[in-house]
Amino acid sequence: MSKKFLTLISVILVLTMVITACGDTGTSAKSDTIKIGWIGSLTGDQAVWGTCESNTVKMLIEEVNANGGLLGKQVEGIYYDTKGDAAEAVNATKRLASQDKVVAIIGPNASGQAIAISSVLEEYKVPDISTVGTNPKVTVNDDGSVKEFNFRVCFIDPYQGAVAAGYAFDRLGFTKAAVLYDVASDYSQGFTEFFEKTFTEKGGTIVAKEAFKEGDVEFKPQLSRIKDADPEIILMPYYYKEVALSANQARELGIDAVLIGGDGWPSEQLMTMAADAIEGSYIVNHLDFNDPEVKPLQDKYNAKYNLPMELNGYMAHDAFLLLKAAIEDAGVADPVKITESLTKVSVEGVTGTIKLSPEDHNPVGKEAAIVRVESADYIFQEKYGVQ
Amino acid sequence: MSYFLQQVINGLSLGSVYALMSVGYSLVYSIMNFSNFAHGGVIMIGAYIGYFCLTLLNVPFFIAFIISAVGSGLLAVSMERIVYRPLRKRNAPFLYFIISAMGASIFLENIVIASPIGPTFRSYPAVFSTTPIMLGDVALGRIDILMFIIAALSLVGLMYIIEKTKIGLSIRATSYSIKGSTLMGVNVDKVIFIIFLLGGLLAGLAGMLFGMKYTVYPQIGNITTKSFIAAVFGGLGSLPGAIIGSVLLGLIETMTSGYLSSQYRDLIAFALLIGVLIFKPTGLMGKTTEDKA
Repeated sequence: MSKKFLTLISVILVLTMVITACGDTGTSAKSDTIKIGWIGSLTGDQAVWGTCESNTVKMLIEEVNANGGLLGKQVEGIYYDTKGDAAEAVNATKRLASQDKVVAIIGPNASGQAIAISSVLEEYKVPDISTVGTNPKVTVNDDGSVKEFNFRVCFIDPYQGAVAAGYAFDRLGFTKAAVLYDVASDYSQGFTEFFEKTFTEKGGTIVAKEAFKEGDVEFKPQLSRIKDADPEIILMPYYYKEVALSANQARELGIDAVLIGGDGWPSEQLMTMAADAIEGSYIVNHLDFNDPEVKPLQDKYNAKYNLPMELNGYMAHDAFLLLKAAIEDAGVADPVKITESLTKVSVEGVTGTIKLSPEDHNPVGKEAAIVRVESADYIFQEKYGVQ
Repeated sequence: MSYFLQQVINGLSLGSVYALMSVGYSLVYSIMNFSNFAHGGVIMIGAYIGYFCLTLLNVPFFIAFIISAVGSGLLAVSMERIVYRPLRKRNAPFLYFIISAMGASIFLENIVIASPIGPTFRSYPAVFSTTPIMLGDVALGRIDILMFIIAALSLVGLMYIIEKTKIGLSIRATSYSIKGSTLMGVNVDKVIFIIFLLGGLLAGLAGMLFGMKYTVYPQIGNITTKSFIAAVFGGLGSLPGAIIGSVLLGLIETMTSGYLSSQYRDLIAFALLIGVLIFKPTGLMGKTTEDKA
């Protein structure tokens, strides 16, 4: 239903664009500021993350302006709330591109919204850099061809699977792995698929692969099967609520295998619910929150807003850094020129070196941070990447 | 062998949750001939009462159980007063009862979502260690043992009330014929008050146990669909039927996940429901009176 609804919305929007386009072309694109748009959730469930992103972008724009701006011009940020809704994201993108005439857009903070806006971006030829849209389809079409104006600074879901498998086999020395995954989630399936692939290619065996459906609370039947297969490590590629429940139930069954998971894990709730059960587990994350390299950004943000820095802030920071480099490389505030430059430049972000591949617009060879849970805290192990 | 035993334990533990929930459906059905879908809402509120007792009031664990049971009991009774009694007085068709019950269930769910409690899930403080008690290769979860004991005790207590006490006698009489028992001097309003109270008390216990074992969230009510299936499977209106149906459903679900695949679990559970309705409309232990089918 929602897909049809989205198509309908897009069709209506495209029509409105065609109709309104004539009136708008008169206004000159040449202004004395460079406008950058940001979209994301400022209200709703994900407001914490969106607010952190927009705050970070605001802070960085102020810094740039204090240092003389970009290409001799001041930078102006325009921020729209998507309310966590794909249709709102499409509206906001359209407004940024057609009325505000931004040179590029940063955000949104979810794959579903990032996928929805591509047709608008193509219509207006304005690039977008997604912060945490990890679904592969954010930057490529179903047929595998790249979306010209969609970019991202985070690694993709399948990559986490490959990293988890590589780390479990090469660094931890495990050869028998089991997987419990959510059949109803693209994230979980992509993660699982690439974990299996990498783990077996390296010479390991998947001794058990069990599924559940989002919303399930009882995992013991599946976990009993996993226990019977006696794995050394269990992959749990889903979000913290199910992680907490399944980890607790695994321990209740007397399973003592090491657990490993991805960026769906870190949360306060996970620790309150299952700190004992996940002691000694490994997490594949985008960066290490305790890394000394990210400390200055954390402090700066904290001093300005008196809020803790979320993962999204780091990603927004790197997206902005990349955009700034691309604008400087293009030498002109033109969306199409900037789009071309986005895959040419390379920047040192807080989440690693960022260089986007022209083939799929994903960052190349970005390393993940491996974190171990020790006494209800996340202890950084090392940066780890696979080819 | 130990694998099989482990799955039996898993099934019994799941079945005891279903049992506590499904008797509430059966109690109401036995007298009023409709499925009280608001029961899931009462269970959910019970889970929240227990949660706030433990986290905000810091009361001891067993006191929280009692508060949660009493709170849910009162809620169930007032739902009956507000939602069902006016319908009863007007002799409304039973369809109206079902629709009102669904409405009440949606109301309860949304009042929690709209309140400061909000839609996100909450987790009970860890009361029990996750270290299992090992019997050979078979692991017994501490919370599962507690759950099984509480379920068994309260169900035995309920059966005692129904079978051995005077009020139980009037409940049984009313379940045969409301008209007949009214003529014999049974206070039907009182009987209905008692069954909602009993169902509510058990709902509170079930809600709190469920919350401790898993988490608390406004949609807990959805899980009671399964316990409703269990009640139908065992025979709506029959208490032993509800308990046996629940344990069987728990076992069937775990065995399906354990020996086939968890993807078939709900498929088989619901196919079973349809099968029972086709071949034995009154369920395994259901009464054979026409109007109960």
